[in-house]
Amino acid sequence: MIVLRKIGLALGLPVVLVAIWWFASAGSTDFYFPSLEKIVKAFPDTWFGPRMVNDVLPSLLRLAIGYVAALVLGVGLGMLIGANPRLRAVVEPLLEFLRAIPPPVLVPILILIAGIGSTMKILVIISGCLWPILLNTVEGVRAVDEVLTDTCRSYRIRGGLRVWHLMVRSASPQIVAGARQALSIGIILMVISEMFAASSGLGYTVIQFKDGFRIPQMYTGVILLGLLGVLLALLFRLAERRVLGWYHGIRAVQKER
Amino acid sequence: MLAVRELNKTYDTKGRRVEAIGEVSFSVADGEFVCVVGPSGCGKTTLLRCIAGLLPPTSGEVHVEGKKVTGPPDGLAVVFQEYGRSLFPWLRVADNVDLPLRAAGLPKAKRNELVAEALESVGLADAHHAYPWQLSGGMQQRVAIARAIAYQPRVLLMDEPFAAVDAQTRADLEDLIRSVWQRLGVTLVFVTHDIDESVYLGQRVIMLSSSPTSVAEDLTIDLPAERDQLATRSDPRFTELRGRVYAQIQKAKQERQ
Amino acid sequence: MKVLYGLAGLLGFGVLLELAPRLGLVSRDYAPPTSDILTTLAEQFGRGDFWVAVLDTLRTWLLGLVIAIALGVAIGVIIGSVPLLRAATASTIEFLRPIPSVALIPLVVVLQGPTVEATLILVVYAAFWQVLIQVLAGVADIDPVAADTARSFHLGRWDRIRFLVWPTALPYAVTGVRLAATVALILTITGELVMGSPGLGEEIANARSSGAVPEMYALIVVTGLFGVGANVLTRAAERRVLAWHPSVRLEVRVPA
Repeated sequence: MIVLRKIGLALGLPVVLVAIWWFASAGSTDFYFPSLEKIVKAFPDTWFGPRMVNDVLPSLLRLAIGYVAALVLGVGLGMLIGANPRLRAVVEPLLEFLRAIPPPVLVPILILIAGIGSTMKILVIISGCLWPILLNTVEGVRAVDEVLTDTCRSYRIRGGLRVWHLMVRSASPQIVAGARQALSIGIILMVISEMFAASSGLGYTVIQFKDGFRIPQMYTGVILLGLLGVLLALLFRLAERRVLGWYHGIRAVQKER
Repeated sequence: MLAVRELNKTYDTKGRRVEAIGEVSFSVADGEFVCVVGPSGCGKTTLLRCIAGLLPPTSGEVHVEGKKVTGPPDGLAVVFQEYGRSLFPWLRVADNVDLPLRAAGLPKAKRNELVAEALESVGLADAHHAYPWQLSGGMQQRVAIARAIAYQPRVLLMDEPFAAVDAQTRADLEDLIRSVWQRLGVTLVFVTHDIDESVYLGQRVIMLSSSPTSVAEDLTIDLPAERDQLATRSDPRFTELRGRVYAQIQKAKQERQ
Repeated sequence: MKVLYGLAGLLGFGVLLELAPRLGLVSRDYAPPTSDILTTLAEQFGRGDFWVAVLDTLRTWLLGLVIAIALGVAIGVIIGSVPLLRAATASTIEFLRPIPSVALIPLVVVLQGPTVEATLILVVYAAFWQVLIQVLAGVADIDPVAADTARSFHLGRWDRIRFLVWPTALPYAVTGVRLAATVALILTITGELVMGSPGLGEEIANARSSGAVPEMYALIVVTGLFGVGANVLTRAAERRVLAWHPSVRLEVRVPA
């Protein structure tokens, strides 16, 4: 019974909303508001074909490459800066300024430097994803518990083990928070880098539909982008649960007290 | 085994000079159990940290096993008061105890043996796979003690380790630490603010004065080696010694005013 | 002392960007030296069009932010206070939240054209979620003991909101505003850049198509200053609001 109620609550509103959309738009003759039925019908033809291989998958691949590069760079640099108070003092205002620049604004510059190919798109993604990861890592490393630091010192835990446990894992809640923000930005930039001036990709395709007035296809593109966002968020959450299981555990215990 | 010679620690911040430790000298023989007590704020923790090599003294020296201390010395383990912050929350209990051994490069078989033995001796043989935050405060401190035991130190420093646990747990832990000490034969310096505890546990009680901190008295505890919470604490000699320490500490507190 | 270090960092960066193109390390075509950028920036300050664009961006950004905050707080408090509503909307929120607002760009351009309204829709959509999530967390954080106390003293709805909901949710709401402000700025500029609605983003796009590289950089610096300004203001507001707030609260790290 409880399970039914839970499922009911989870699906209720979405089902109602979709139904409203379906019936409100059924039989629509408005060029710009096709019926949901039409849109759903256009979905398979539009995406489950060569476009999946030629546009969607490469877009996702670029996102993955850019995101991972930003992670590695961000965590690496973040550790260095976070562990060194003087370096941090020198670099912090500069970083605050650079991170305040809305990433899409760098797209024209990167187009100048790198053209309109894959390199540009990956650079755009890195340029946006780097900052939340970097700054959060710096914060996380800064806030390492001093009792833990003393423990490592007296038990002579040094080198790789120390970096891994005292720095990376200790800062991981912060790092993951940064990684989450970076994911949202990465998706936005993946799309923008292709919408703005490109020759292939998911965002590019959707803009092509718009320019060619193929409206139902355009809608399917919008929906696909939405679904992508949701799917990636879900994947992230699953990964986070594994990495930060201990952290959620502690918070749960603290809440009880 | 351990010698503190004319130790002084002065903090010079923003024009204010704070003398945490005035001049402290004492030595500890091999295998001795020494307790250090003093009024609040007399620099007990600072003293311990200087001995542990975590804090450089302003003047004076600490020698462990004949060698001058310039950083955390080999074969010395510290058990901190804040057990929650000293254990790694992302590691299970067994891995926490294991980590310093890994850092020391011991082979896996040997490490497993030491870890199992240590956890058994503190009564946590069943807790190998738990996370520290799933355990009670007393049990967490036992894990910290187990970690110190497995490390096989020659000198063990404990900084008010039972201050943050409830009275009943404290009694259990006191007996535990005495049995561990007798079994391992380590040299033990135990800092506490609990006067009764210091007399119950130690072979000697070193009483610190208030600022400028120095050794007010070095009292030998001539109670029998076999101590028992009920019997020893009702022994008239215990009451005498305890009264002596209490009077000394009161004197130290009044001198401060 | 720290300030000096920071200034050194900024100046060092400026010097680096000055020398690199001059020494030929990078092409002047796409990386003009700092002095060029600064002189162009000064020139921009004299241009009427520039200030029009600045005001356009500012207006879109603030308007979108205010609407998002109003909607976010209202809906957040309502949903947060009614457990049934909360449970019923949870799945919908979790689904709609991660949808990238840029996905709406084609839709919005087709329906509204390159107008301020189009960008506003993007801005409100993206910023709204930031506020909503934080407010929901805030309302959820109400101490159950305090809530019971309020109920046992028969506090009316308005009093409950004043003494219970408002103080608890306020710091969360302020964090939400800070996050929303950043997102709103990004989307404002994005909308102007990609769709061509009036504002700094559009100016940048224009500068690009006419190949005026120093202008591009100068405008980018301006957007950066905007962002910094937004950060500073919202953090200052956060500090003032939290100054009287009894609890020490970290930014709600809401799970993905």
